[in-house]
Amino acid sequence: MPLPDTDRTIVALATPPGTGALAIIRLSGPGAFSTAAAFTSPPQRAPAHRLVRMLDVRDGPRLIDRTVAVFFRAPASYTGQDTVEITCHGSPYIVRTLLNLAVRSGAVPAAPGEFTLRAFLNGKLDLAQAEAVGGLIASGTEAAHRAALAQVQGTMSARVRALKTAAVRLLAELEARLDDSYEETAPVAAAAFLRDTAALKKETLALAAGFEAGRGIREGIRVVITGAPNSGKSSLLNALLGYDRAIVSPEAGTTRDTLEVTLEIHGFSVIFTDTAGLNAAARGPLETEGIRRAAKAVSEADIILLLKDGSAPLTPSDKLARRRAGELAAPGAALIEILTKADLPAKVRAAAAIRTSCRTGAGLAAVRRILVEKQKKVFRDGAEAPVIFARHFEALGGAAAELGRLQDLMKKDRPKLELAAEHLRGALEALGAILGETAPEEVLADIFRNFCVGK
Amino acid sequence: MKAFDYPEIFDVAVIGGGHAGCEAALAAARLGARTLLLTQDLDTVAQMSCNPSIGGVGKGQLVRELDALGGEMAKVTDRAMLSCHMLNISRGPAVHSPRAQCDKKLYQFAMKHALERQGGLLLVQDEAAELLTRGGKVSGVLTARGTRYRAAAVILTAGTFLRGLIHIGLRSFPGGRYNHPPSSLLSKSLEGLGLRLGRLKTGTPMRLHARGIDFSKCEPQAPDSPALPLSHFTPAITRRLLPCWITRTNAKTAAVISAGLGGSPLYSGKISSAGPRYCPSIEDKIVKFPHHGAHHLFLEPEGFDTEEYYVNGLSTSLPEATQIDIVRSVAGLEKAELMRAGYAIEYDYCDPRALDYTLQSRAVPGLFLAGQVNGTTGYEEAAAQGLVAGVNAALKVRGEAPFILRRDEAYIGVMIDDLVSKGVDEPYRIFTSRAEYRLMLRQDNADLRLAGHGFRLGLLGPELAPVFERYRAAAAELAEKGKTKAVLPEEGPWTLAKARATAAVEKSYASYIKRNQADAERLKKFEHLEIPADFRYAHIKALSNEARQKLEVNRPLTLAQAARVPGVTPGEVQLLWVLLEKGSKNER
Repeated sequence: MPLPDTDRTIVALATPPGTGALAIIRLSGPGAFSTAAAFTSPPQRAPAHRLVRMLDVRDGPRLIDRTVAVFFRAPASYTGQDTVEITCHGSPYIVRTLLNLAVRSGAVPAAPGEFTLRAFLNGKLDLAQAEAVGGLIASGTEAAHRAALAQVQGTMSARVRALKTAAVRLLAELEARLDDSYEETAPVAAAAFLRDTAALKKETLALAAGFEAGRGIREGIRVVITGAPNSGKSSLLNALLGYDRAIVSPEAGTTRDTLEVTLEIHGFSVIFTDTAGLNAAARGPLETEGIRRAAKAVSEADIILLLKDGSAPLTPSDKLARRRAGELAAPGAALIEILTKADLPAKVRAAAAIRTSCRTGAGLAAVRRILVEKQKKVFRDGAEAPVIFARHFEALGGAAAELGRLQDLMKKDRPKLELAAEHLRGALEALGAILGETAPEEVLADIFRNFCVGK
Repeated sequence: MKAFDYPEIFDVAVIGGGHAGCEAALAAARLGARTLLLTQDLDTVAQMSCNPSIGGVGKGQLVRELDALGGEMAKVTDRAMLSCHMLNISRGPAVHSPRAQCDKKLYQFAMKHALERQGGLLLVQDEAAELLTRGGKVSGVLTARGTRYRAAAVILTAGTFLRGLIHIGLRSFPGGRYNHPPSSLLSKSLEGLGLRLGRLKTGTPMRLHARGIDFSKCEPQAPDSPALPLSHFTPAITRRLLPCWITRTNAKTAAVISAGLGGSPLYSGKISSAGPRYCPSIEDKIVKFPHHGAHHLFLEPEGFDTEEYYVNGLSTSLPEATQIDIVRSVAGLEKAELMRAGYAIEYDYCDPRALDYTLQSRAVPGLFLAGQVNGTTGYEEAAAQGLVAGVNAALKVRGEAPFILRRDEAYIGVMIDDLVSKGVDEPYRIFTSRAEYRLMLRQDNADLRLAGHGFRLGLLGPELAPVFERYRAAAAELAEKGKTKAVLPEEGPWTLAKARATAAVEKSYASYIKRNQADAERLKKFEHLEIPADFRYAHIKALSNEARQKLEVNRPLTLAQAARVPGVTPGEVQLLWVLLEKGSKNER
């Protein structure tokens, strides 16, 4: 049954994504303290009300961040339940890791407006404030509808429905036997049943992986630096990075592989892929491989920085680089032209291009600004999506877990069908978080369609 | 003819003496209501119009629940039992279901006698013609003979009698059951009161004479030994029981049926009402599953003192001539004599979505409906509704809180919730697959779940209450710790051996039941959140179109029901929750 559950501990980012140097992650619910204690040290399992502590957040042995946590005991909290607010550094990587740790420790990602819903239900909001709650959740739901539209209403929806149909079909196999007064139906064909269960589980997991693969907020945006050989790609990367990450050499073709580094600008993470130059006269197998990888990186980028040596005239390699970047760019990706080596006399003109110099630092601030703006847009568009994705991921993961238990059970000698049915019902209930309840009538319809039962 | 007022005024008047009517009248009278039972024919009270058996998968659980609540059906079944089987014994205990064949006449007389012995219950043979109302509320019943019975509540259990129309082949004639006239006056009265009527269809197979059956060609199905009583309160079944017999259809049967479909009222389009899919006619089975070589047939005796046999599995409305050919195509039945032909029947039912959880009409206060008239099928489904309606009619007259069973408490709760929240599009039969808490709703723990209600309501005599309390404590202790020091009687409904058996089942399902209970607990919160009748889904933009339409049609009464509507997602339930809470806070 798809009912909201106020007894679960929920977690979400309480500050707007990506706007500041600090972020607050809020946990609320009966298990808020124990959940937080699972990934912070020293753990505060029974903290005093309004206790403030510096806590280390660790992912296993790895230190993720030093944070400040504030503990509120029920009912004196925003939601009226036990609540922990963890203030961490605003990097999306840190935020994402903290959220993941909370979920791994038993919290579930909050639905839009769920904190406010709890506050409302626990009488923490007055009527005037409460008026806004419905609108908040409605807009959250609408945004969720919008955000998930392509995924959930389109092909994704069809795939989830297909999962449900398959699960209903399997359940009907069991229920037809359980509800057969006359035991006329032949026993369940165990091998076929297990095969279908395995296939269903595989498809469920594949779909779950699809949700997890959603980009943007989790990974930061992908920026690729491309351009003709010796156009200054590695120098720009190093300048933005602040240290010599890439090997810079005046000899063309030094960077034969792609280099990937994560750069944090204004609290955003930007993934840079410096690519091997797109050399029009490439010959050796090594260079060809480098170019192939560069092409792949360009096609996956959110932003393409197309570099041209501003101190040299246009070469065939520059033309090729521009053409290839245009061809390879993904829909929606931004292509930004940069003329490098601005400290040297200009040999080309391009009004729209940014002129940079790694030697003087000219133009670097403009590049950063563009990256920040693009990142903000990704956050804005994707702000609702991760919640939906997380919940769908959870639903699909839950369904897959039930199917795993079903497999274990059905492998036994003389499996108990009524228990097997519980796991399929569990899987359908998990999918219900996406599609809503599966009514018993849907299972009955399948039974009557496929089995000759009854007198 | 001038109407006259019957001198006494009743608390509860029950129209109909079938399985629903009997339980309704007994329950109301046992709660102390002055009760009237009005039936067309006192000699057909509790008539088993179709098969001679009580129970079955899901249905057996219903009967055990009814018994734990102080109903009569299981006791009467035990008195009339001629064969019995615990079904599904090869599966887990959650789906073990008792089923017993009965001597139909013994059953009727035993029930009639139970009615006659019940204090405060008057039995009258007359036909109800019109429901009387005053100020929009029920005030009594006017009969065909012109008597006005005044009553504070009326329970209608009309079965298949409302505008009943019987079909055999392409011939049709009015009837509520073969050879019994339909109730033709009442439908108009109901429509006049604003009830929505629809048509449904069901059917019954032919009956054969034993001397035309070659039992040596059939496979005997021996009764269980020892025979387990259906009632908690029957010490043992001591009489000798009879076997049933199994034979099967064959390719020739299929050929006869295929050739005869032209004479079928179902396939010629003469009957368009929906029939039960789980209780298909033999022609349906042959048409829909042409590759099934053989269909099982069960030959069940209709009584100890009769040669009549019921052919379970051959329900049909084909012409009588074809019916003879069908029967005689079957091994063992080559020389069969048809005593009664099979037939289909169409009848009016009232949309159960117009009822509340006590089975009271939302449009006409004081009018309760129970049984087949609500679109169900089966004696057990009818009887269970009868008890719920009887109890609630009596409670209402006394001005007391209603008696409502939840889905996690009883199959009765599952059925009534299904009926009032989803309605029916074919005759409704209970299935274990309808129960989300199936592992908790077992025949072996029906008493643990429900006898407490039975004692509280006064349906069960107080003398057994202390024993039951000790039994309940012992069973809980055994399930939890594996041992108990409780002392229980050696005999009677509640022994230590029974407590051990139930505790063992409970233990084997423990981890699953724990999860079920947590779900049920969460659900309870939402059962209390009522959705106003005039709630407007059209205004809620955030609902998906699908959810909006389905909610508009189903009009759930509570948030829990709304969540059960297919296609409504958790986000939408949450949104409705906020809107409902907001609405109620606004009122305050």
